[in-house]
Amino acid sequence: MDTNIKFNTKNLDLFYGDFQALKSINMEIREKEVTAFIGPSGCGKSTFLRCLNRMNDLIDSVKIKGEIIFDGKDINGPIDVINLRTRVGMVFQKPNPFPMSIYENIAYGPKCQGMKDKNQLDNLVKESLMKAALWDEVKDRLNKSALGLSGGQQQRLCIARTIAMNPEVILMDEPTSALDPIATAKIEDLMSSLKKDYTIIIVTHSMQQAGRISDKTAFFLMGEVIEFNDTPIIFTNPHDKRTEDYITGRFG
Amino acid sequence: MGRKAKDSLIKGVIYLATGITLSVLLFIVGFIFIKGIGLVNWDFLTRDFNENVVYAFIESNDVPLTIDEETLNGKNPYDKRYETHLEGPIYVENIGAAIAKVAYKNHSTEREQFVITYIEKDSPFNRAIDSTGKSITIGTDYILQSINGNDFTSLTLAEVAETISAESGELKIKVVQPGGGIKSNIITTLYMVLLSLIVALPLGIFGAIYLTEYAKPGRLVNMIRFAAECLAGIPSIIFGLFGMAFFVVALKFQISLISGSLTVAIILLPVIIRSTEEALKTVPMAFREGSLALGATKLQTIFKVVLPCAVPGIATAVLLSIGRVVGESAALLLTAGTVAQIPGTLFSPGSTLTVQAYYVAKEEGNIELACAIGIVIIVIVIVLNILSRVTSDKLDVFNKK
Repeated sequence: MDTNIKFNTKNLDLFYGDFQALKSINMEIREKEVTAFIGPSGCGKSTFLRCLNRMNDLIDSVKIKGEIIFDGKDINGPIDVINLRTRVGMVFQKPNPFPMSIYENIAYGPKCQGMKDKNQLDNLVKESLMKAALWDEVKDRLNKSALGLSGGQQQRLCIARTIAMNPEVILMDEPTSALDPIATAKIEDLMSSLKKDYTIIIVTHSMQQAGRISDKTAFFLMGEVIEFNDTPIIFTNPHDKRTEDYITGRFG
Repeated sequence: MGRKAKDSLIKGVIYLATGITLSVLLFIVGFIFIKGIGLVNWDFLTRDFNENVVYAFIESNDVPLTIDEETLNGKNPYDKRYETHLEGPIYVENIGAAIAKVAYKNHSTEREQFVITYIEKDSPFNRAIDSTGKSITIGTDYILQSINGNDFTSLTLAEVAETISAESGELKIKVVQPGGGIKSNIITTLYMVLLSLIVALPLGIFGAIYLTEYAKPGRLVNMIRFAAECLAGIPSIIFGLFGMAFFVVALKFQISLISGSLTVAIILLPVIIRSTEEALKTVPMAFREGSLALGATKLQTIFKVVLPCAVPGIATAVLLSIGRVVGESAALLLTAGTVAQIPGTLFSPGSTLTVQAYYVAKEEGNIELACAIGIVIIVIVIVLNILSRVTSDKLDVFNKK
């Protein structure tokens, strides 16, 4: 077995009540790469992303079949979900900083895990904000509310908050769709630099973005993975007609 | 009729309705104020409702009068509700105080009494102690009834002054602190608010957390919600009857502070559950997801992220609850009683302001006094409103940019 594989899904089906949202997904996601999911709205890419840290648990009607192997274990089995989520962090579509200070936002996760030492927390907050390229902008206002930041800053704060947990994987669900082009560029730069340390999986509606930042791209359609390959191949020489139609803008 | 005319007609009706509502409100508040304001003063707020008889021990000591007779005569501390001036005042040197004879009306009886109208700065009254040696306050308007066992009943003012002057050394004086105040009712009301909130707030908040965060939507949740709504609509006398049968009789709590506050706590529960639930529902799902995605447990998410966001809503619930307790009368009449005293323990009775207003209006026919109590209730409610608005603004996490 390839040790570089982070997630390995086997015949994954997902149902919202009677509606099947994911159909037999088989995918291997490699470590320390950026994997992008593209596809039209409602094709299941966000749903699949949320399977990877069991965020779908929050929705009552969801039923899942098949396996998602993470670190040799099926995460749909009887595992410690809290532990899984500390190892697989998530950044959401709309920036969702908590209505507390910038400092508290970053320290929230570690504190929930029981970290109490003030110095340790201070260092962690600084380190995380630096990694998220936000330190210089907020270092003088760490105790101000995070809600006073701009949208782009808020989203980088959410990334910093996730980094503070030192996860192995960061899931990003359309992290730039609510941001302007300048903020988007900053987040994309950030992703490229984070790639060294983390496995990143991103859902995006922007094919240019997928092309710019990802190593691998998966094209989803109607709950199925149509094509999963190296990003350059998907964008220049797709094997499937439907992928080609989508990326050339013929539908979607 | 043209469309324009119809519009202005309807507009007129709307304006009229608003006007009527507003003027009714103003009229009621105005009526209460005009009727009652004459009775509201510091003594009214700080005195017990019932008279208090104490024996005061003082060391007689000749104190000369420092003001002239005319000023002394002008001193008029009488409470016109109870006292009609008959004779005096006369200054008595060995107690350093002036006394006068009045017709004193208490509840339905009227007697002649001798009241203190003026106390000198150096008067031994200012160093009075009771039989246990504790210092006590003697003020103007207090009634003197005997000195060293010599009763004042059926004496003239001059005879009383003579009797007092004849004594020396340590004097034992029977003093009556006049009643008519509502201190005990104010304190009982505060106790009632505190106790019922201590019981109802945690229960209500946890109930609301269960309904919004834990319960799977379905028949059970709908039933609980329906039950809460029904509870909110039931008149409070029904709760009073239940409290009387259950807390007072079955649990043997008697008519007491605890029976009253538990009964009121039940009345408050639906209010608190409903408004906390509404507050929790407005907390964006994104906060919960964000917290869970950081590896926080569900409880951590609720207590560290969701509840703080809901604080302004919960503060509203608290405000509504306080208003409810302060305004509650029927249920408390049956469970906490009409005794105007400060409850010494959880198991002693005490009447709140509203119950007292009912009592004086109904049993004593004293509408003015009831209106004066009404003014105090209105002021308390307004102050609580302002306080809770200020605190909820201060605690609002979304306000701190």
